[in-house]
Parts: sequence; structure tokens; C-alpha cells
Amino acid sequence: MYRKIAFLRVALFALALALALPAAAKETVKLAFIGPLTGGNSAIGLGGRNSAELAVKLRNADPKSKYQYDLVVLDDECKPDTGVQVATKAGADRSIAAGVTHYCSVVAVATVDTFHRLGLPTIVWGAVLPDITYGHSYKEIHRVNGTMINQNETAAKLMLKQGYRRWVVIHDTTDYGKGHNKYFTQYATGGGGKILGTFGVTADQQDFTAELTQAKALNPEVIFFGGLTPIGVRIRAQMDKLGINAQFQGTSGIVNDDFIKALGPLAEGVVAFREGAPAEKLPGGKFFLEKYAEQKYPNPPEAYGPFAYAAASLLMDTIDKVGPDRKKIITALAGVKNVDSITGPITFDDHGQNTVAAITAYVVQDGKWVVWEDSEYASGKRKLKGR
Amino acid sequence: MDLLAQYVMNGVMLGLMYALVALGFTLFFGVLDVVQFAHGDVVTAGAFAGLATYAGLVLAGVESAVPQLVLVVIAATLSMAVLGAVLGRVLVLPLKGAPPLNVLLATLMGGTALRECIRLFYPGGSQPQRFPALLPSASWSMGHFTLRLDNVLMIVAGGVLVLGLSLVLRRTRLGLEIRAVAQDEETARTMGIDFRRVVLLTFAIGSALAAFAGVMHGLYYNEINFGSGLLLGVIGFSAAVLGGLGSFGGAVLGGFLFAGLQTLGAVALPFASAYKDVFAFTVVILLMTWKPTGLIGEQLGERV
Amino acid sequence: MRTASAGTRAISALALAAVAGLLLYGFLATESEKTVGLILLAAVVAVAGGLRSGVLPRLVHAAGAGPVLGALGLSMLALIITFHDDPFVLLLMARALLVLVACLGLHVQLADAGVPNFAGAAFFGVGGYTAAVLGRSDLPHLLILLASGAVAAAVGSLLLLPLLRTRGHYAALITIAFGLLFRTFLEVNDTLGGPQGLKLGGLRILGWSFNDDRQLLGMDFSGYAFYCLAAVVLALFAVALVRRVERSWIGVALDAVRLDETAAACFGISIGRWKIAAFTLGNALIGVAGGLSAMMVGFIAPNNFTFQESLVLVSILLLGGLGNLAGLAVAALLVIWLPEKLQPIQEFRYLLFSVLVVLVLVLRPAGLVRRTARRPFGSVAW
Repeated sequence: MYRKIAFLRVALFALALALALPAAAKETVKLAFIGPLTGGNSAIGLGGRNSAELAVKLRNADPKSKYQYDLVVLDDECKPDTGVQVATKAGADRSIAAGVTHYCSVVAVATVDTFHRLGLPTIVWGAVLPDITYGHSYKEIHRVNGTMINQNETAAKLMLKQGYRRWVVIHDTTDYGKGHNKYFTQYATGGGGKILGTFGVTADQQDFTAELTQAKALNPEVIFFGGLTPIGVRIRAQMDKLGINAQFQGTSGIVNDDFIKALGPLAEGVVAFREGAPAEKLPGGKFFLEKYAEQKYPNPPEAYGPFAYAAASLLMDTIDKVGPDRKKIITALAGVKNVDSITGPITFDDHGQNTVAAITAYVVQDGKWVVWEDSEYASGKRKLKGR
Repeated sequence: MDLLAQYVMNGVMLGLMYALVALGFTLFFGVLDVVQFAHGDVVTAGAFAGLATYAGLVLAGVESAVPQLVLVVIAATLSMAVLGAVLGRVLVLPLKGAPPLNVLLATLMGGTALRECIRLFYPGGSQPQRFPALLPSASWSMGHFTLRLDNVLMIVAGGVLVLGLSLVLRRTRLGLEIRAVAQDEETARTMGIDFRRVVLLTFAIGSALAAFAGVMHGLYYNEINFGSGLLLGVIGFSAAVLGGLGSFGGAVLGGFLFAGLQTLGAVALPFASAYKDVFAFTVVILLMTWKPTGLIGEQLGERV
Repeated sequence: MRTASAGTRAISALALAAVAGLLLYGFLATESEKTVGLILLAAVVAVAGGLRSGVLPRLVHAAGAGPVLGALGLSMLALIITFHDDPFVLLLMARALLVLVACLGLHVQLADAGVPNFAGAAFFGVGGYTAAVLGRSDLPHLLILLASGAVAAAVGSLLLLPLLRTRGHYAALITIAFGLLFRTFLEVNDTLGGPQGLKLGGLRILGWSFNDDRQLLGMDFSGYAFYCLAAVVLALFAVALVRRVERSWIGVALDAVRLDETAAACFGISIGRWKIAAFTLGNALIGVAGGLSAMMVGFIAPNNFTFQESLVLVSILLLGGLGNLAGLAVAALLVIWLPEKLQPIQEFRYLLFSVLVVLVLVLRPAGLVRRTARRPFGSVAW
């Protein structure tokens, strides 16, 4: 008797559960957006997602557009294994025509094979490792933002010009960090600088006292950090704890508001570089920022939002021309030459890479990332460490 | 020489944190013969509770660091004491007669649930959170060695706490009851000791220690992360096991021993300090092979 | 001692497989979350009703385990053919099956011999990395799969001495520490790819590449269909093997070791030998599953093998009921498929699993469906 009642209860509960679940809706042409929506780089991921969503929204509101677009948002958590999983999901889903993919280089480099295997055309919007486009000859992979090669060349030049000659390099052991180490070391030593020591750290390392204590003993002028925001924050904070008075120099991985928010006053005077002009100075920058502000997103577009917008727009333009057939999109993307976008004219070379000439140097001034040329550090009113 | 002093300082800080966590494990084991694997996540929860209190205080307009610090510590320890008692009541006591593996699993899963709750429900929980620097940051440098006032304060506070706990266990009636229950539950109950009250209070005390360790962790690294509890829990358990589960001195010894192993690993393997964990855990496994019940052994008797 | 005729056995087996197949098909094919919920409900009702009324155990008993497995294999084949060009569903099926094989390995260790293993995901990873490294050479891939299992067993044997000398939670600590150590070790050094991981070419048997899409019987088969087929074969083999072991004198010895070590020792059963056997066999199964999984996905990274993943494997074991193979299969399917099909769950899945396991442990420690007692003579129910 009691057993029957218990069984009925279970059945009723399951029934209630089943009816409470909402039904999924169906749309016309789907685009995938993949980025780090959770974890230490989520600010940039969310900025990119909002920008891509903005592009889709504006396109859907345009009566001239041939298709209704739906953005399928997937979180790669900045981890290669999760990235491969969601990439497989996106690629295996036949209703998804193309993808706007990845900020984290670690993930982007892991998923190129998956996209090639499943035949999904993708445009990278934020990952800077050169191998992502140059490490293979897959026709599916393209990129609108630049690579870290130019970034590090400019970085070395500027810092050498400031008079710095002695560096300690700390980089994360992913291909991203290793890439930065390789290129920066190449350009810094080429210009007369000296790398006193190089330390590899894991991407989720908590305690850097061992590396920093050894670095302190080497007495560097600058600590170059090749990696992303979470460990950049920790290294800068622990540098202060150990009383290391060197200048902190980072890469595109730390150019975001989370870095400054987490460090507070310690972030002052940190220098970093990234490819592409700041949003306001882009050809379509004002338009993009206006439209973005109208949507009242809780997160700013961050450094790579405009690139995500440009990638999504380019894909939708291509689909409008050749239809949502993956193979046709791949062929069409191969022929992209001087196509206008908010980030400037896009041309894909034979490896699907767009050339982004401008490299912007930033410095943290009063709690904000300020373009170097406009800052008081460049004009001499404030001084970097050790100058 | 000063480099060595720096390393020793780091090791002492870590050792103290691990010792506090290990003490919790040893207390729970002594009293109930259980390993409460959610303990590491209680450390994290304590740190987050402290952070939330701080945010609340800032909103309420409390500006000065001293009341902030005091209130943060009190809030963290009290809330975790309650949480610990709840965990004991819900997860551990009902499973009293069950095979020990069940309790281990239940508390492991309970810890996971706690961790996921923090990640999902604390605003921005999946990212590392900045923990405010509430201690004075004066420091004194000698060559490569920097002695920071906040580290010294934390070491002193931690030491006082450990000594205080030892006194409670040795001099108070509650301590007597705890030790009685740890020694022989049946006889203790026959002698009129309220078993459940003692168990819940022990859980509360252990978890309060964990909360203190969590706040220390936050102050030391200026950052807390929802996932750090897992590793801390395993390290704390390893430390308690090294010293012998159920032994107070053993837990403290184990904590410093593990920190020493980690620091040694970091120094001796300069190419990647991340190897220090591999090194430390390997040594733990080897030590346990050699002495299966810890360095200061557990008295293992078994009814056949 | 079977009392039913061959015909009855075949029919009961096919009936079971047909029902299961239909439910699985419905579950996999639907896009709407509401339908998924309804199918779940239907399945719960069917299974619970079958168990309560006694129809299900009788049907299984009448069929005999062998025919049931065979029929289930056929229904899996039918599903593969139905979803012949949907890579996502095929991938999901294959993943669930490989996780099932890994859990079978854990089952032998934990449920049969009582040896706790909280590093299941690490051994899965060992198998995967072996496949990745050996895949660069010219070894035939079947051999590589076997090697994945062998290497996993070999790595596991490193832990044997500590495991044998310790008991209960101390033993658990050793496997937990190993699991954490394994991931850190992989991430830190570059010889095995570091945090970036390793890429793998696909499975090739006798020149037949599993990665390519092919045209067969007039239909387009996605490459994943063949991996799914391989996974079905592996899973059937693993289930049959584990059942055979459990029903044999080896199983009796393992049960004795698990239930009471001292008594077993008094009866002359060598505790050490049987624990070693169970641990090694379990790890070998886990390793082979890991190797095939890595070849299928084409990529492997340290982050796939965290302690959290090991806990998921152990949860599957517990949710299905420790000792219950059918429950294990159902739990594996649910744990892998539900988060994919029900988007709201995706984010909360670890929380959901841990809470469910805690509930099971506290409220029904014997498992949702109890482990059947061993019957010394005559066939075992399941």
C-alpha cells in the first residue's frame, strides 16, 4: 500500500518535471559563437558575445537581409578539452552554417582539426597565436584579428626605446604563453636587450613565490608576462608582496578591465600591447560603440568586441550572398579581399589570416587603460618604474 | 642566506594554513571515525563568507580596516561553525553505521555541492575574487628577504589559535568530553556525555578553524577562488594522515611537514615550481606505504 | 539451468531490446526538451512498473543474460543505422558507451573487490595518452588499443604496494592523491604536450580509416558511426567479461575479500592477490576505453582528467546502485546524455549529480535498485 503511494509520488514528480521544461524553438540560419563565458577571461568572452549578438540583432532588424539569423552561444571555458567538445557540438550540428570562434589561443589551436574534420567554416575573433592560421593549411579556419608576432615586435621596440635592457620573462606553459616568450625574446634580444631568466608557470598556478624569489635575485628592470589575466593579476600582486620593484609588462591577454579591477592601485603604470587600434579610433568604431551602448549590455565590449562584430558581420554578408551551405561559404571566404568592416578592410591571405597593421600600446593610468601616446607616461609627466 | 629565510617564511605561512585544516580533519576523525571531505570546501566557503561580509561592511559605510577585519573574521568563523554543524548533522551522523567509504563519498559529494553552489550562486563566483588587504602592509627588507608585518600577524594569530585549541582540549570540560568520545564512544555515553552535542560542537569548532584558515588564505594571496578548497582539503587530509589521524600534535606536524615538502620541491626543482605538488604527493604516498597509519601512528584495533 | 526454450528466450530478449531501443531512439532524436522530459517519465514508469510487478526480472530471467546482451547490441546497431549521418548523436552514444566501459572497470574494483579508486579519470587519461603517443608510430591500431589497457594497468600497479598496505580512507587518499598528481604532472611537462594536449590521428584498422565518412548500403555514414560501432563491440565485450568474472569462482573470491577481509584470509583466500587482480583488470578496461575515446575525439588534454571527472565516474557507480550492472548502464546513459539534452541542466550538472549521490547515500545506501544476492546454484538474476 505504502509502496504504491511512494511509486505514485515518484511518477507524479517526474510528470511535473517533464511538463515544467520549456520547449526549444527553431530558427532559420544559425551561427555559432564560441568564447570563454565563464572563468578568469569571461569579461572578454562576454564582450565578444555581446558584440556578435549586436551584429546579429542589427542584421535581423535590416529588412534587406535574406535570412533570419540565430546566434548559438557556446562556452569554451578557455580550456582546450571543453573547447573541442563544444566545437564538435557546433560542427556536428548541421543547422549551424558557420562559427565565430575563440579568444583563448589554447583552445583555438586545439579545435582547428575538429572544425576541419566537421567542415565548419570559422572566423577567429580574438586568439593571437600565429599557428592557429599558419600551423596548417585547412581552408575552414580564418581570423580577423592579428597575430602576436607584430605585437611583440612593437612591444620590444617601445620598451627598448624607453631605455630598458634587462628582462625576466614569466610565461604560461600553454602555446599562447610559449609563443609570446618566443617572439618577444627574439625581438628584445635582437634590439640589444637581455633576457636574464625565463620561467614557465601553469595557467592555474596560485603561488608564484618560488619563481618571483628567483627573479628578484636576478635583479631585472622589467618583468615581461606572457599569459592571461588571472595569473597576471596574481603575479603583479605577489611581486609587490615580495618587494620586487621592476616594471610589469604584459600582452594582449591582460588588456581588460578585470585586470585593473582585481589589482586596484597596484595596476598603475603597467604596460601592455595589443593589435588593432582602440575601438574609438577604428573606422567603424564610433558606430559600433553607439549601437553597443544602446543595447545596454552589462559588460563592455572589451578589446576584441569589434573583431567579434566584424567576424559575425562578414559571415552574415557571405551567407546572404551564397546561402547557408558550408562548402560554399568556405569557397567564398577564401576570396575575401578588401571587404569593409568596422575594423577596417579585411583581406584573407592564403592561410585565412587578415593583416592588422596597427599595434596599440597601453598603459594603466588612474585605473584605466590609456593609449600610450595619449598618456602622461609618454609625455614625461609620470615615470615608469626605474626611469 | 636571506633567500633561504624567504623560503622558510613562505613555508611557515603555508604550514600554518595546512595545520589548521589538518586539525579539523583530525578532530572529526577522532570523534566520529570519519573523514569529512567537505572540509576543504568549508575553508573556501569561509573565505567567501568573509568576502561577502566585507562587501556588506563597505556598503554599510564601515571604512576603517580594524573593525572590518574583526567583523570579517567573526562572521566567517561563526557562519562556518554553523555550516559545519549542519554538515555533521545532515551528512555524517545519519551515515554513522555505514561502511566508512560511504561517508567518504557522501562528504566528497557534499563538498562538490558546496563548491558548485559557490561557483553558481555567488556573483562572479566562477572567477577568482579579489580579497581585500585588511592587514597593515608594512615590511622590512634585508637583501632578498622581505619580512612583512601582515605575515607576522597571521603567524601569531594562527599560533595563538592552535595553542588555544590545545588548551580547550586539555583544560576545559568540553575538551574532556571530546577526548572521551574520541577514545571510546560507548563508555563516554554511559558516563552521561551527550554524544550528539559533542559531535556537533566538534564539527563547529573544526569548521571555525577552517574558516580562519580560509580568511588567512585570502589575506595572504589577496585572492580567493571557488576551486581552491579541493586541493586544500586533500592537502589537509594528507597532512593529518602523515601525522596520524586522531593525533593533535600529529596534525600540526603533518601540516608543516607537507608545507616543507612543497617548499623543498619548489626550491629543488627550479624549472617548474608546479612540480612541487607532484613531489609532495609522491612523498606522501611513499610515506604512507612505509607507515600505513601515519608517522605518529593511529591505534588500529579491529573487531573480527 | 534454463527452463525456457530457445524461442521464448529469443522473443523475450528481443522484446526487451525493442522497448529499450525505442526509448533510446526517442531520447536521442528529439530536439524539444519537453519531449525529453516525457520520455524520461515514460522510462521511469516503465522500469519502476516492470520491477514492482515482477515482469521485468522475469523477462530478463527468461531470456538469459546472453541473449539480452545480444539483443541490446542489435538495437544499438539499429540506432546507429537510424542516426547514420548525425555526428552529434553518434558521438553522444559512443561517449556514453565508453564511459560505461570505464565504469565497468571501476565496478570490478569498487563494487566487486572493495578497492576504492578515485583516480578513474586519470587511468582513462593514461589510456588516451598511450594511444596518442603510440599512434605516432606504425603499430597496428588494435594493438595500440590493447596497449592502452596494458599501460593503464601498469601505471596502476605503481599504486599497488601503497594500496595493499593501507585500508579504508587511507587507501582512498592514495588514489585521490594520484589523480591530482597525474593531472599536474601532465600539465607541467612538455613531453606529453603540456596543457596544450596532444592531437591524435583517427583509428585505422587494416587500412580502413574510422575518421572518414563513407557511403554504405546507399546511405551516408558519418565517420563517428564506425567509432560508435567499435564502442558497442567494446561495451558488449566488457559487460560479458565482467559478468563472467562475477559469476565465476573469481567473483566469489572478490566478494569474500570485499565483505570481510579477515574472514576471507582465514579461509585461505589471498587478499593481496585478488585485490591486485581486480585493480589491474579494472584499470585495463578503463585504459582501453580511454584509448578508443581519445582516438575518436582526436584530441586529449590534461584538463579532461581532473579529480572532478573521477568523481563523476564514481557517482555513476553509486547512482546506478553499487553492484548492479543494469543500473550502472542506465546511470551512465543518464549522466552523459541528460546534460546534453536538457540545456538548463548543463550548467548545474555537477551540483545535481553530487546532490543526487548524497541523497542516494543517505536515504538509500543500498542503491536505487538493490544488488541481488548471489545464488550459489542456478543462474543469477542480473
